Amino acid sequence: MRIDRRHGRFAAVAAALTALLAAAACGGGGESGGGAGKSGGESGGKITLTLDTFGNFGYKALIDQYQQAHPNIKIEHRIVQRFEDQYLPRMTQWLNAGRGAGDVIGIDEGAMGLMAANPGYFTDLAQFGLDKRESEFPPFKWQAGINSEGKLFALGTDVGGLNMCYRKDLFEKAGLPTDREEVAKLWPDWNGYLETGKKFAAKNTGKDDPKFVDGPNTVYEAVLAQEAAKNGNITYFDKQNQLVVDKNPAVKAAFDYVQQVSKAGLTAKLRAFDPTWDTGFKKGQFATIACPSWMLGIIEEKTGAEGKGQWDVAAVPGGGGNWGGSWLAVPKQSKHPKEAADLLNFLTSKDGHIGAFKEAKGLPSSLPAQQDAAVTGLTSEYFNNAPVGKIFTASVTSLQPVFLGKDHAAVKAAVGRVVEGMDQGSIKYDQAWQRFLDAGKSAAR
Amino acid sequence: MTLHVAAPPAERAAPPPPARGRRLLSWLDLRASGYVLVAPYFLLFAIFGVFPLVYTAWVSLHDWELAGDKTFLGLENYGYLISDPVFWNAVLNTIGIFALSTVPQLVLALMLANALNKRLRARLFLRLSILLPMVTSVVAVAVVFSQLYQRDYGLINWFLGLFGVDNIHWQGEKWSSWIAIASMVDWRWTGYNAIIYLAAMQTIPRDVYEAAELDGASPRRQFWQITVPMLRPTIIFTVFVSTIGGFTLFAEPMIFDGGLADGGTDGQFQTVAMLIYKEAFREFDYGYGAAAAWLLFALILIGALVNYSLARRIGGGK
Amino acid sequence: MSTATGSRVWHAGPLTKITLALGVLLSAFPLYFMIIIATRTNDEAVDVPPPLLPGGRLGENVQRLLDAEEAHFLLGLANSFIVAATVTLSVVAISTLAGFAFAKLRFRGAKVLLLTILITMMVPLQQMGVVPLYLMMVELEWNGTLKAVILPFLVNGFGVFMMTQYTTQAVPDELVEAARVDGAATMRIWWNVVLPAVRPGMAVLALLVFMQTWNEFMWPLVVLDPQNPTVQLSISNLNGQYTNDYPLIFMGTALSVVPLLFIFVLFGRQIVGGLMEGAVKA
Repeated sequence: MRIDRRHGRFAAVAAALTALLAAAACGGGGESGGGAGKSGGESGGKITLTLDTFGNFGYKALIDQYQQAHPNIKIEHRIVQRFEDQYLPRMTQWLNAGRGAGDVIGIDEGAMGLMAANPGYFTDLAQFGLDKRESEFPPFKWQAGINSEGKLFALGTDVGGLNMCYRKDLFEKAGLPTDREEVAKLWPDWNGYLETGKKFAAKNTGKDDPKFVDGPNTVYEAVLAQEAAKNGNITYFDKQNQLVVDKNPAVKAAFDYVQQVSKAGLTAKLRAFDPTWDTGFKKGQFATIACPSWMLGIIEEKTGAEGKGQWDVAAVPGGGGNWGGSWLAVPKQSKHPKEAADLLNFLTSKDGHIGAFKEAKGLPSSLPAQQDAAVTGLTSEYFNNAPVGKIFTASVTSLQPVFLGKDHAAVKAAVGRVVEGMDQGSIKYDQAWQRFLDAGKSAAR
Repeated sequence: MTLHVAAPPAERAAPPPPARGRRLLSWLDLRASGYVLVAPYFLLFAIFGVFPLVYTAWVSLHDWELAGDKTFLGLENYGYLISDPVFWNAVLNTIGIFALSTVPQLVLALMLANALNKRLRARLFLRLSILLPMVTSVVAVAVVFSQLYQRDYGLINWFLGLFGVDNIHWQGEKWSSWIAIASMVDWRWTGYNAIIYLAAMQTIPRDVYEAAELDGASPRRQFWQITVPMLRPTIIFTVFVSTIGGFTLFAEPMIFDGGLADGGTDGQFQTVAMLIYKEAFREFDYGYGAAAAWLLFALILIGALVNYSLARRIGGGK
Repeated sequence: MSTATGSRVWHAGPLTKITLALGVLLSAFPLYFMIIIATRTNDEAVDVPPPLLPGGRLGENVQRLLDAEEAHFLLGLANSFIVAATVTLSVVAISTLAGFAFAKLRFRGAKVLLLTILITMMVPLQQMGVVPLYLMMVELEWNGTLKAVILPFLVNGFGVFMMTQYTTQAVPDELVEAARVDGAATMRIWWNVVLPAVRPGMAVLALLVFMQTWNEFMWPLVVLDPQNPTVQLSISNLNGQYTNDYPLIFMGTALSVVPLLFIFVLFGRQIVGGLMEGAVKA
């Protein structure tokens, strides 16, 4: 033991620990509760509202605008990229635990059934007069925002629609047409899409050459959306909320198709909303991606400024469909329900819809916005001046709302991973369908 | 695990003749202070250790869902778990990653410790350097390694590509994901174990080596015949600690899967801890998660016993 | 190795030197890589071949990290500091007391109690207790507060075990006896005799506990929310929001390591010394 030599150093450690204790003692009271106080409460008369969304809602400019018009409000915008497996479970946990959720939260179509079944989670928006806005929305969008107790809890933001985005430059290099009308003619149906993909692949055989599709999940969702419309407008659940993943031919058709695409080696084997997918956009690893309106904003965000003019939008194989679309709601736990409802009202107003469309191209579900020249006439410089307003409003005129069911998001996340695994080779093709069904059943349990 | 409870000091000298009250106090002090000193631990452990354990057992007997809806199931959750391939897959992954991370880690640590035990310059620098990974935060390690292991643009695949190896999708298969995750664990803890071994090595009397030297034993032979057997208690201890850490592995595989609790597309690297988290906080099946937690505890007990008996054999019949 | 024997066992051959060089290199590389990415642009971060030298974007990336208000990075750092410091103090104090009792005091049931602690060391409280502790915190409305991440970690079986072992070997029985003969009460013996002798062990335990708490991930992920995160959560939230911004995320990870590195460098000699004196052993 050489204790004595260490005295000096020990004193230093002790002093440091004492300092920490002091910090903890002072901070413990002030900070531990105070952390939440900082965001939930008022500091100097200023109210902080937290806005939770996923993907890209196109709210940057709108938030600035709102804060300028309301100097007493500060908005903190939290974004999570993945909805079903990251955003939703944590949100559900917070809604249930009574704290943690934002003051205004975004909800994807896949979870609206779940949220409507839990009326205790949300503030009744009618008490702030938002029920007067029914005429502004298509009936299906409005109805989805009514919960099991008949109260209005959510208002619609965007609708998906469905088209196909493609890389003009990569198409040109592969000797394919680049004009959006010509491109649409390449794939009147999904078989045509597959054949075009094979042609593309034949010209891109190198190890680092781009692939035709980003990954299996986006194709799968697009085909499923169309097939659902042909099969009674249901996917994994029937309208009595019974799991029909193994019975609905739409599911099997979408699965079989994506398996074909995967077997043909057309995908870049990327998982949607994964960092590798983001990099894939940047590096031009793939030439097409199924494009609901909100995907445009994501493409622009992920590819970045240098990708300007490379992407374009053509009609989707099979002509039209709808994938995605979201709502906003105010959790009951919000400490500022009135202010939160006002923000929600603004973001879902005609101007809010138009602003979001300009920024991230999520097509307004608001009827006045849909008919506004600012929407119908919008062309996107980024997407090679494509008339995105015209293209997407056209794609939703015949929109058939699909019934999704309470546990849709859970099943979607689970089967999505099987599709991904099959494409990446960790699940064998001949076992994939069984795994798919097992995963779906287990998630719905 | 050796356990030295200090032998009670022999004959206590009689206390100096004090006043009555003082004598009582002093008697109390002798009798009771042991309990008083260990009381804080047991008190807090009862609240934050025993209570959760018992409560976990209670929850595990129910179909306990979000919002407190619960129905009594008895042992049904356990029955379901035992017949659930997902659970056994998670067990397999946990054990596999544990083995892949512990064995090389301890062997490397022994080698490093042996090297550090030589006559060297800059000893403190060397010791601090290999301890460095230990102070790196776990999420940071996982984020950095996930990037290094990235399929298309990761440094490791680029390096392997120099030797003509095709890009490996590390998350894709069991073997590759296990290696990747085990390497994160190894990186953080090898140096720490090396220092512990080094400390133990330095207590081995020099003359033992000198005698062996006279007998003509090579350094390698001395390492295996003297060093390793003498380190046995220390090795057992490190294996024991690694067992607990390895069986509760969570942050590294979680972040390796982009923050999801699935452990890859087909559960290639889903650990039991991830399964518990997923069941309880992604699917909100608290009862099922709680049952999995108890089975994890059982596994750790078994794992500790197996490792103990394996580690005892290290160095043969010494 | 002060005793210079002529034995070739202690000679550092080329193999030894290579082993050590590799060890140091591999230890440092991931940290170095972290700095490379943290100081570059996003495009450079995914270049092939990958960059191998740091870039010049240090200040810019720090600024962007602080501008990402919704990640609450600084609050996360402060929170982690408070949590880790409180837990460390508590564990070290409680373990030193209990370690002294087990090592040097005679009381009925000591053996059984110590064995109990040994078994509790094997309880993965973080995983086992996650469901009931969470339900408990929600019931108390402590979820989302630092209390929730401090309280369950205030005791630690490993700490008691380690301090018991250390006290046994570091404090000679005669010293305790002599103090008794002088009429010192137990607490006085602890303060005057035991504490000075077990300091190196305490320092090592403090570092281990501080690190372990600083790195706690699963429980904070469950019980805290992004408004009031620990630093690990803050990084993981950055990772979820700015998926394609590697420099930003890496800057977060780099800055989350700095406080630990600072402590480590400051007390490095003490910690290595404590470990070398057998603070952690069976």
